[in-house]
Amino acid sequence: MSNISASRSRYNSWGDRIFDTLNVIFMLCLVVVTLYPFLNMAAVSLNDANDAVRGGIHIWPRMFTWENYKFVFNEATIFHSMFVSASRAIVGTIVSVFCTAMLAYTLSRQEFVLRKFITITFILTMYISGGLIPGFLLIRDLNLLNTFAVYIIPGIISVFNMIVIRSFIEGLPEGILESARIDGAGEFATFIRIILPLTVPALATVSLFVAVGQWNSWFDVFLYNSSNINLSTLQYELMKILQTTNTASSSQSAADAFAGAMGGVTAVTPTSIRATMTIVASLPIILVYPFLQKYFVKGMTVGGVKG
Amino acid sequence: MENYTEPVIQTSRGPKAEPAGFKLFLKRLMQQRALVLMSVPFLLWLFIFKYVPLWGWLTAFQNYKPYKKFSEQEWIGFDQFNFLFTDESFYRILRNTFVMSSIKLVLGFVTAIVLALLLNELRNIFFKRVVQTISYLPHFISWVVAASIVTTVLSNEGIINVLLMKIGVLDSPILWLAKGEYFWGILGGTEVWKDVGWNTIIYLAAITTIDPSQYEAAEIDGANRLQRMWSITLPGLKPVIVVLLIMNLGYILEAGFEPQYLLGNGMTSDYSDNLEIFVLKYGIEESNFSLATAAGMFKTVVSCVFLISANSIAKKLGESRLY
Amino acid sequence: MGKKKLVTIAMSLFIAASALAGCSGGNSNKNNETSASQAPASSDQPASVEPVTFTYFNFQSRGKDVMASETTIGKILQEQTGVDWKMEYLVGEEDTKAGVMIASGDYPDVIAPEGQIDKLLDAGAFMPLDDLIEQYGPNIKRVYGPYFDKFRQADGKIYFLPYSADQGYIGDPNISQGAFWMQRSVLKEFGYPKVKTLDQYFDLIRQYKEKHPQVEGKDTIGFAVFAPSDTFYNIQNAAVHLAGYPNDGGVYVNMDTHEAKVVAGTDDIQKPWMKALNEIYAEGLFDAESFTMNKDQFMAKVTSGRLLGYFAYNWQIGEATNNLKTAGIDEKRYAPLPVVFNENIKDQYVDPPSFVNNRGVGISVDAKDPVRIIQYFDNLLKEENQILVQWGEKDVTYSVDEKGRYFMTEEQQKNRDDTNFKLSYGFQYFEYGWPRYGSNSLLADGNSYGVGNQPEVAASGFTDGDKELLAAYDAATFSDYFSDPDDRPWYPAWSINLGQGTPEQIFTTKSDDLQKKYLPKMIMEAPDKFEATWAEYMKEFNKLDKATYEKTMNEMIQNRIAGKW
Repeated sequence: MSNISASRSRYNSWGDRIFDTLNVIFMLCLVVVTLYPFLNMAAVSLNDANDAVRGGIHIWPRMFTWENYKFVFNEATIFHSMFVSASRAIVGTIVSVFCTAMLAYTLSRQEFVLRKFITITFILTMYISGGLIPGFLLIRDLNLLNTFAVYIIPGIISVFNMIVIRSFIEGLPEGILESARIDGAGEFATFIRIILPLTVPALATVSLFVAVGQWNSWFDVFLYNSSNINLSTLQYELMKILQTTNTASSSQSAADAFAGAMGGVTAVTPTSIRATMTIVASLPIILVYPFLQKYFVKGMTVGGVKG
Repeated sequence: MENYTEPVIQTSRGPKAEPAGFKLFLKRLMQQRALVLMSVPFLLWLFIFKYVPLWGWLTAFQNYKPYKKFSEQEWIGFDQFNFLFTDESFYRILRNTFVMSSIKLVLGFVTAIVLALLLNELRNIFFKRVVQTISYLPHFISWVVAASIVTTVLSNEGIINVLLMKIGVLDSPILWLAKGEYFWGILGGTEVWKDVGWNTIIYLAAITTIDPSQYEAAEIDGANRLQRMWSITLPGLKPVIVVLLIMNLGYILEAGFEPQYLLGNGMTSDYSDNLEIFVLKYGIEESNFSLATAAGMFKTVVSCVFLISANSIAKKLGESRLY
Repeated sequence: MGKKKLVTIAMSLFIAASALAGCSGGNSNKNNETSASQAPASSDQPASVEPVTFTYFNFQSRGKDVMASETTIGKILQEQTGVDWKMEYLVGEEDTKAGVMIASGDYPDVIAPEGQIDKLLDAGAFMPLDDLIEQYGPNIKRVYGPYFDKFRQADGKIYFLPYSADQGYIGDPNISQGAFWMQRSVLKEFGYPKVKTLDQYFDLIRQYKEKHPQVEGKDTIGFAVFAPSDTFYNIQNAAVHLAGYPNDGGVYVNMDTHEAKVVAGTDDIQKPWMKALNEIYAEGLFDAESFTMNKDQFMAKVTSGRLLGYFAYNWQIGEATNNLKTAGIDEKRYAPLPVVFNENIKDQYVDPPSFVNNRGVGISVDAKDPVRIIQYFDNLLKEENQILVQWGEKDVTYSVDEKGRYFMTEEQQKNRDDTNFKLSYGFQYFEYGWPRYGSNSLLADGNSYGVGNQPEVAASGFTDGDKELLAAYDAATFSDYFSDPDDRPWYPAWSINLGQGTPEQIFTTKSDDLQKKYLPKMIMEAPDKFEATWAEYMKEFNKLDKATYEKTMNEMIQNRIAGKW
């Protein structure tokens, strides 16, 4: 970063200034467009549900209330499910990133005799799937139903992430591994002591991918752990709440033509709850990114090697 | 541990290239046992979790009923494939799938790379981080919510129509979502809006690997901002771009179904129906798992064709590649 | 419109309080006596009340997972039987859930499969109940006896207990189904005119829009149909109602010949409806966003006061009507109208008494103790417990006046409408999804089984505006100025099981797709192009295998008429 400030004078040509101004204007437009949906959800979630039906709420609530949040957090299971979600995000990310990086390292080694075979075998699995039911039966036969492990084990390796990390390792300057070998370090030690620290930006990136995936996933809860409330995740519990309000507000399906049509007013609506759960579910995970950003510092990798 | 006397070049050909060298292969394997230990367990994992369930492919040739034992299933040959390929709408659906995922691929790549380059040029680190964080927010909005926002924006009294009428481009509002010919554009735009920030992350990480001394050198040569972006940052990103491109080409038939389902309607179905919606309609909803499997196999074949072609093109061009 | 409905007869009789036994409730009354006298048919071997917990899974997302004993109703039932339930409700996608459940062959003790019932029956997930009912089910026999033949499966056995075994009949005083709704200010403006035909309906909208081109600075919207892809059936069904038929799914059935015909592509049903919409679209009265708006947008329109009329099912937009009601501006609310094509047609918006034989709850083959479960079911079907699951406890969740009529105080009504209360008390879990009386049943004491059908409850919910409007139309309730439903022994034809992946099923999917594509096009085209588009649509439509579908539907309907369900 020091070199940027040192050469500041060079940047200040007219062309550069115009470029900078346009760039900032563009970024501001981008911020407006991408921030809107979130502010909109926040406003709807803080607005009286019955009033929100009228529409027209943009970024500020019209009739402020905490009711929607009370409704969501009234659910005793929410806090436990947050804990489960956080656990699977943390454990899942650590396990997956470590394993994926290790595999990526071995596959980055040009001289490894199994390299091509393993690489292709892994890549193929990105595009093939035996289908839902065979997958389910496998998990059942492995006795992974109703376990926490089912959140972690099937996702140990992400091929996509593996490729990303491998590309990074391959992009490292040649000399690094050489020097490690001269030091007489073994493969595993090289991986831990040299490769991991040098690929931090890549690891931070894939950690984010894995953590977001883990945090947001509900389909595996639905398939494998739906009857074990202790292993339920936040997204799944929020979906339950949403579906409850859905049914309550339109309790008259064609086969169920009675009750409730008396104009009763429920405190929440599916729309307000959906907005609330968007905020509740995504705020924690969104906050992870700013934390990871400090690992995306220009020149860190190579600079580290040089130093 | 290992001391490699042999040059790297030899091994890249793989063991089978020299049948006489099976012993050599074993010897190397022994030499590289640390690497073997670090990778082969995952191969085992892969086999169990990804390859074992492939028996499911056989169900594409059956009238599969989940409650029957595998041996009791009724074999029906290629009926599912026939149903898929002979449906009169199949080619339209295939076209839509290709077009939509190509749009997504091209737009997704170009916008994410451009945004990464521009973000990289921002001088204020704090502002840069704020923009990054905000730009990835829409990724966390479910498609239901995103589609709802898009529908509102594009409605008769939505901001797009209002703006266009104010600046005099339109006399009366256009019903954007009712016109099939706009659908691909709307979908592409929505996908970019939702995921451009998210897709940028990987390029921002890749930019960190570029050696800062290159920029210094370029500056001394008097290169301006655009020139530096073009001749240093972009080439620095090239390996990542190429690898991601090859990987994504394998997903050419995966256009998703949620946005199409939520933004499409009968009036746009000639443009919005894709393979996944077809499978949903005639497969999943009808509990016809065999059809879904058959469609999945078809997709795999297409994926492999694209993947192998892209990879060998990359190889010929001397670019980085997937395998 | 002065025709008196069953409901009104029933109501006046009940208020007279004495003659109730002679009315439509007679059937249930008699049955109730029998059950009261011989309730424990197998009392020589008293049912065990040892504590036990079973599992229950419902494919409808009615509630959150809960132990039955954590709800008031579940607790009371547990005290009676010793049985507790671990109740689970579907979250996510039902087809997948059913597929996985079937593939694993691991079933909960009791399943309420909703739309997945055919798959589970196919898979042999349910155990036959005949012997159990014979031995342990006096109340089951009382409630379901008259209907047994309607839900026996092909092998002659009973595998599940449906939800719609009506004991007597009382109609819904409100219109909660489909109708042509009109903003009350329009009706008021023209002095509450009689609106019978579609022309009259559109004419009122036309005149009102001319007089009031804007509402609060925004353009008035004439008429909309809530018909995006997932509720497209609204625009399809409206035509059937206009022609004087109830919603029978994709067909309408001639009352004399009992011949079923596909609605799509009919010159006398679908075409005039499309033509009418095409005309009002050209005049600027039809909301072009009918097919693209989502539910939130439609509800915003309904609550904005700008929309003069719409066709939709009331339960689709409950939040919007609630909002209007709480806002307290009666003129901006909507009144249902039984609109038909011409004066000679008798409207059929109100569903005929019907027996839905493809929904229900059954005991799975994996059930640990089917005897205890069937005893629980039987106990649940005792009249007092049926009152418990619908009305709750006397003086707690409902009150009884000096004439024995059930009603709810304001407080009780408020609770009954509160989702959280419904969950904690257990209404949400027990009023549906278990063996039960049909929703239109009458209790032995003449009160309505379903809370919403009780005239007293409906009346207490009427606002002054409601009363004014009802008085203007000389009606006691909203359903009062709709025609009585004719008896249709096959009804509802939409519950006919067409099987999976059959030519009939594929016809339905393709024909829906075609209509989704062409109907909006037809409406929004210039009037002189209408005929050409219709012809193009028919050309495409005639390519489909309509004959097979019609043939099957006719066979099934004939079977039902003959009592073979």
